[in-house]
Amino acid sequence: MEQPVTVAIIEDHPVVTEGVASWIRSDPDQRVRLVHTARDLTGLRAVPRPAADVIILDLELSGELVTAQIPGLVAAGYRVVAFSGHSDPVIVIETLDNGAHAYVSKEEGRDHLVEAVLAAAADRPYVTRSQARAMLTDQRSARPALSQQEQQALLLWFQGMSKASVGRRMSISENTVRQYINRARAKYAATGRTAPSKDALLARAIEDGVIRAGEIMPYKSFAAPAADRPCLDAPGQ
Amino acid sequence: MTPVQPTVQPTVQPTAMMSGRYQRAFTIAVVFLVAGWHLAGAGGQLLHNRPAYGSFAFQGAMWLVMALAIAAGSVLVLRGTPGWCPAWTVAVVALAASTAAAAASPAGQMLAVNWSWGSAGWTGVLVLLRRRFSELAWFLAAEALAILGVQVRDGLNRTDLAGFLAVLAWSTGAQAAVAAGVKALDAAAGQAATAARNEHAARERAATTEIIRAARHARWLALQESAVPLVAELAAGTADPGDAQVRSRSAVQAARLRRLLAESDEVPGSLVHELHASADVAERRGVAVEIETAGLLPQVPAPARRVITDAAIAILSAARSRARITLAVVTSGIAVSFVADTGAVVRLPAAGAGVAIEQQQDRGMLWAEARWNSR
Repeated sequence: MEQPVTVAIIEDHPVVTEGVASWIRSDPDQRVRLVHTARDLTGLRAVPRPAADVIILDLELSGELVTAQIPGLVAAGYRVVAFSGHSDPVIVIETLDNGAHAYVSKEEGRDHLVEAVLAAAADRPYVTRSQARAMLTDQRSARPALSQQEQQALLLWFQGMSKASVGRRMSISENTVRQYINRARAKYAATGRTAPSKDALLARAIEDGVIRAGEIMPYKSFAAPAADRPCLDAPGQ
Repeated sequence: MTPVQPTVQPTVQPTAMMSGRYQRAFTIAVVFLVAGWHLAGAGGQLLHNRPAYGSFAFQGAMWLVMALAIAAGSVLVLRGTPGWCPAWTVAVVALAASTAAAAASPAGQMLAVNWSWGSAGWTGVLVLLRRRFSELAWFLAAEALAILGVQVRDGLNRTDLAGFLAVLAWSTGAQAAVAAGVKALDAAAGQAATAARNEHAARERAATTEIIRAARHARWLALQESAVPLVAELAAGTADPGDAQVRSRSAVQAARLRRLLAESDEVPGSLVHELHASADVAERRGVAVEIETAGLLPQVPAPARRVITDAAIAILSAARSRARITLAVVTSGIAVSFVADTGAVVRLPAAGAGVAIEQQQDRGMLWAEARWNSR
């Protein structure tokens, strides 16, 4: 059996930490091992840093939004899965842009958190329904251009269908549905600010055949400054 | 069933405008009066007495200054009620020109050849007309005192004083009377406007009452078709509350009643509000209902909302334990979708009012989407 993925929970409400820990314990294959819990980020700045593959990060710690701390965590080599009660699409997009692998709302936790952690550890995309909603409603000039099929798959996924049902609805296989949704996510990794986690996700997506390097075309807006163009050739080399 | 739509006439113009129009007419009349007086009255007197003045050129110059003051004052009052500073600037210029003209008249003949007293007084009336009456009174008093001062300087005998009082009574009296008259007409126009406004408000109230009455009637008719027969059957004992089908019908009717109440609420995002109301009964049954929106939803017209909430009620009544409702903005409209564990296909209400409905059943889970197209 593979080594379990190590995870740290940063959450200021002990009852939530306890709940997340119980979801991790109840995974039948014990694929995730909890190694660290804390109520704030100070412990992660200590030397030597706690070893964890993935951090489950509550976006609001002691009343303060910590999305701006994500780039620092990502630069230190952690993969971040945001776990938050905030479902405002603007915050979700900002979280992804700052380099978080996935966004899981507190309502989605039970069904998605462990899977999102596993996907993050493997640098694979994971799109929750709240994340799909944020991507569907993204109005920024620098948003990536999504194909019609990608948008349709995201919409049906957001609506609450299983991926198999989405496939039947769109007359495609469940795998193709995953491919569309993951490709949309990969396009997000190619836009906005640069982060090692985004590069890794993109490289893995290209390796897995989710997306081809040539398909990564950001939405071009006259309003977007030239410096915003993502670096297209860096990952995968 | 067509709800009665009473027509609301775009009644009368705004009443303030109406009252303002009368006031403007009075103002124009005063402008003509003052300008006419200065041209014909004062100008005629100036020319008639031409040989009597020490310097006709100076008198002519003062007449022109007065004419300019009247022109400036006319522009001011035609633009609205002038402020304190511009009104009194014009008034003081007129007073100064009048006093200078009087002082330059030959001694002993001042009252006989004076053309300026009347013009100055009328200029004061023109610019101070719509300000406090006391301001005009102060101005007319100052004007009379200035003329009296000139007269005293030249020597005041009994005949001069009698002449002064006669001119004062005639000129100032006429000016005060015109000012008072315009004030009275202004007040009357204001009253007429208020009456018209009240009438307009009463008519709007009546129209609103009619709209509310029509909406109530429509709701009553809707209940006649749906809830009332069920209640009658339950009361008569022909419907058994123990029967699952009767319970399901009751749930649907209860949800419809909730929606009827929600429809009359004035809230932004009416569709979301009505969906919440429609979900209320299912939630009481223990069904976990999630409602989520994506994007800034457009306003959906009432008939289309009716079709969408009807579908919601049908699906939620069939849901066993959970249902998810999402509202997403799509090209030129809105997609309202339902995912619920209904176990079987649900008979959905007919599409219409610009709403298309689709559904798909997958291993006990129902997905349905009602798409409203704004075009």
